[in-house]
Amino acid sequence: MAQAIIEITNVHKRFGHVEALKGVDLTVMEGEVIVIIGPSGSGKSTLLRCINRLEEYEKGSIVVDGIPLDTNQNINAVRREVGMVFQSFNLFAHLTVMQNLMLAQTTVRKRTKEEAEKVSRELLVKVGIPEKAESYPSQLSGGQQQRVAIARALAMNPRVMLFDEPTSALDPEMIKEVLDVMASLAKEGMTMLVVSHEMGFARAAAHRVIFMDEGQIVEEAPPELFFASPTQERTQLFLSKILHL
Amino acid sequence: MEQQEKNAPNRELSFVTGGEVNIRQDPWWWLVVTVIAIIILLVMIAPFPFKDIVVFARDGVLVTILVTISSYFLMLILGLFGGLGRLSKNKLVFGISSLYVEIIRGIPLLVQLIAWYFASPVVIQKIGVWLNFAPLMYYRANPIITAIVAITVCYGAYMSEIVRSGIQSIPKGQMEAARSLGMSHFQAMRYVVLPQAFRVILPPMGNEFIALLKDSSLVSVVAVADITRKGREFMSAHFNPIETWLMVALLYLVLTLVAARVVSYIEKRSKRGS
Ligand SMILES: Nc1ncnc2c1ncn2[C@@H]1O[C@H](COP(=O)(O)OP(=O)(O)OP(=O)(O)O)[C@@H](O)[C@H]1O
Ligand SMILES: [Mg+2]
Repeated sequence: MAQAIIEITNVHKRFGHVEALKGVDLTVMEGEVIVIIGPSGSGKSTLLRCINRLEEYEKGSIVVDGIPLDTNQNINAVRREVGMVFQSFNLFAHLTVMQNLMLAQTTVRKRTKEEAEKVSRELLVKVGIPEKAESYPSQLSGGQQQRVAIARALAMNPRVMLFDEPTSALDPEMIKEVLDVMASLAKEGMTMLVVSHEMGFARAAAHRVIFMDEGQIVEEAPPELFFASPTQERTQLFLSKILHL
Repeated sequence: MEQQEKNAPNRELSFVTGGEVNIRQDPWWWLVVTVIAIIILLVMIAPFPFKDIVVFARDGVLVTILVTISSYFLMLILGLFGGLGRLSKNKLVFGISSLYVEIIRGIPLLVQLIAWYFASPVVIQKIGVWLNFAPLMYYRANPIITAIVAITVCYGAYMSEIVRSGIQSIPKGQMEAARSLGMSHFQAMRYVVLPQAFRVILPPMGNEFIALLKDSSLVSVVAVADITRKGREFMSAHFNPIETWLMVALLYLVLTLVAARVVSYIEKRSKRGS
């Protein structure tokens, strides 16, 4: 954990009258795993989406791997370095699993078909579904789809992975298979920002847990400390709610 | 829904049923066979006037097919750009394409055809006089080309809306996932959104083809010798309206029924792919 890979400084974002982010500062170190929690509407998704510029922000700055998010060129460069996994998987519905994994490799990374296919097969083994290469997304379970989505993002060799509630659209019995893949990624030293209320994952894999509320970071601490003795009242209230569920 | 504004009687039937080139799997082909058989029977039983009408209208059938197919493909291209323009963030592009769609859809195709045929040459001639440029000064409208332009422009507006709603029906997450992988907007459209939108717009595209085929009969008023115009010429020469229009109707029916079968076949095949 030598150097900072993401530097977020005083970022503000509004949707019309709604202030989704009210001055967020966050520095993420290389290899760090951060879990972000917070009530609905607190700006967790917006923060992740600002990091790869799916959302534009009005004020502040975000620098990823030394590249400031300003010009279009830089935005595309950053997107190549940052993988994103969505709550609703967002696999390309008209393409097979293999084609889903290969598309951006050939069009963005300019790999040959052979290279791309080799990378894809290895990643499918890694996420545990090599036999599904020729299936369409609609033929897979939610857990399988999310694992394909993770593989698709990994195929671009990102330096950072963003996860926006990756398991909250899944049936309970499929959550573990996705969390296992994420945990092994964390063990390999991938830098990860994870919005999730899976506290088991946070305890086991996170280096830092962040609590967001009303567009701000309210509290951050290593997981042991965070769960044992939260300092802010809002954090305590929120934790008491979700831990009782 | 929007389509019905244009030409309601043409659009009530949904032609897409069955769906196989093989007659055993798509029994609707029997209807095509039956209509052709009726035509042959009429020609054999009463060569005058039926055979004479068919011979006389033969070139008209080719003209109808030519006008239909060329304006269909041109209007697909125009509709693609119109639809993308309607979704553009660029205000100018959005404005121009929206104006085009709204204005053109508010004017009957027949009026547009007549305007293109009679008014546009005068405008071009005036410009020629103004520029003192002889080829423009003596410009004369070519009926077939003018008709193809008019139909393309009119149908392109309807197609733009079909394309727009097709693209909008694809979940936003598809575009976002593509962009998050580093694809450009163009790449994401080209490889992710448009292929999926294409499947959505295929059925309305098929309906447009059949509607256009029938609407092509309107070009008969602007000196294009299509089936309908040939029918009118034959009737005024021989005074047998019943036989003439029976045969003209049967000829159109063969074309539309065959087109409907092909459309339904293409749709079935594209569904199989997913
Ligand atoms: N595209 C949008 N248009 C308008 N308002 C938006 C948009 N996206 C988010 N918001 C608003 O911004 C605020 C933050 O939303 P965000 O999605 O970041 O919250 P969240 O913490 O991810 O919540 P959840 O747990 O429900 O996913 C909310 O008030 C939300 O209504
Ligand atoms: Mg969210």
